[in-house]
Amino acid sequence: MFTRMSDIDRMFGAMDLLRNKVDRIFGDFDRSYLYGPAFAATNSPRTNLLENGDRFEVQAEVPGISKDNLDIKIQGNYLEISGKRQIDIPEGYKIHRNERGTAAFSRSFTLPDDVDSEKVEATIKDGILYLSLPKSETAKPRQITIN
Amino acid sequence: MSEKKDIVKKQDAAVEKTRALISATPAVDIYENDNEILLHADMPGVAKEDVSVNIDNGTLSLSGIRRFDSKGVFAWEEFSDVEYIRSFSVPQTIDVEKVKAELKDGVLKLHLPKSEAAKPRMIEIKAA
Repeated sequence: MFTRMSDIDRMFGAMDLLRNKVDRIFGDFDRSYLYGPAFAATNSPRTNLLENGDRFEVQAEVPGISKDNLDIKIQGNYLEISGKRQIDIPEGYKIHRNERGTAAFSRSFTLPDDVDSEKVEATIKDGILYLSLPKSETAKPRQITIN
Repeated sequence: MSEKKDIVKKQDAAVEKTRALISATPAVDIYENDNEILLHADMPGVAKEDVSVNIDNGTLSLSGIRRFDSKGVFAWEEFSDVEYIRSFSVPQTIDVEKVKAELKDGVLKLHLPKSEAAKPRMIEIKAA
């Protein structure tokens, strides 16, 4: 029998712990792609799309891909990232394990709004491609002054 | 029963919940020749300062932390902040002092030279 309030408290504490754990299992269930190895599942880079007021930002995982092997095409609200990943096996070495695959890939997206293709900036840092895509004038949020 | 206690503990009811860093497995390639073992691991988004390589008692462990400071709202999200972790057993014949690591374009390249004693040696046969 529960003789003290603290016993009940402890019981609820244990139940909370269990609930958190079960939550985590189910939360992770359909999001496993978030933390698998890069490039593994589809042989194409995973991407993020962020919307930030007057611009979109695209991030893509491109480990070991130099900028010469990447192609970015933009037209209106259509964005295409294509490229090739080459794995050079060093000369005279035996292969023990080969998980990083060579692949040619192409991914295309329809962005929620038109972008100004003249002002798009692309940078690669530590194997991540960052694209900054300013929205075209008509798609930008506009401040309306009240007369 | 006079004692007043909250049913839910304070820390569980905290307003802000921090997201624990998820661990991911990097894909690796391992090559070997007579002089060294080469290990290439994909760690996109990890800066040089956030990589650690440890060799201890025959176990090589790699760890790399990736954090984005993205501003804006995600329209979709296929990857996020992770900690890349992986460990390997390495032979004791690795010369730990001479291990070299380089990080380029999100790929970690580890050179694990074999110690002199472990290298194959050609024995010359002398004419009697």
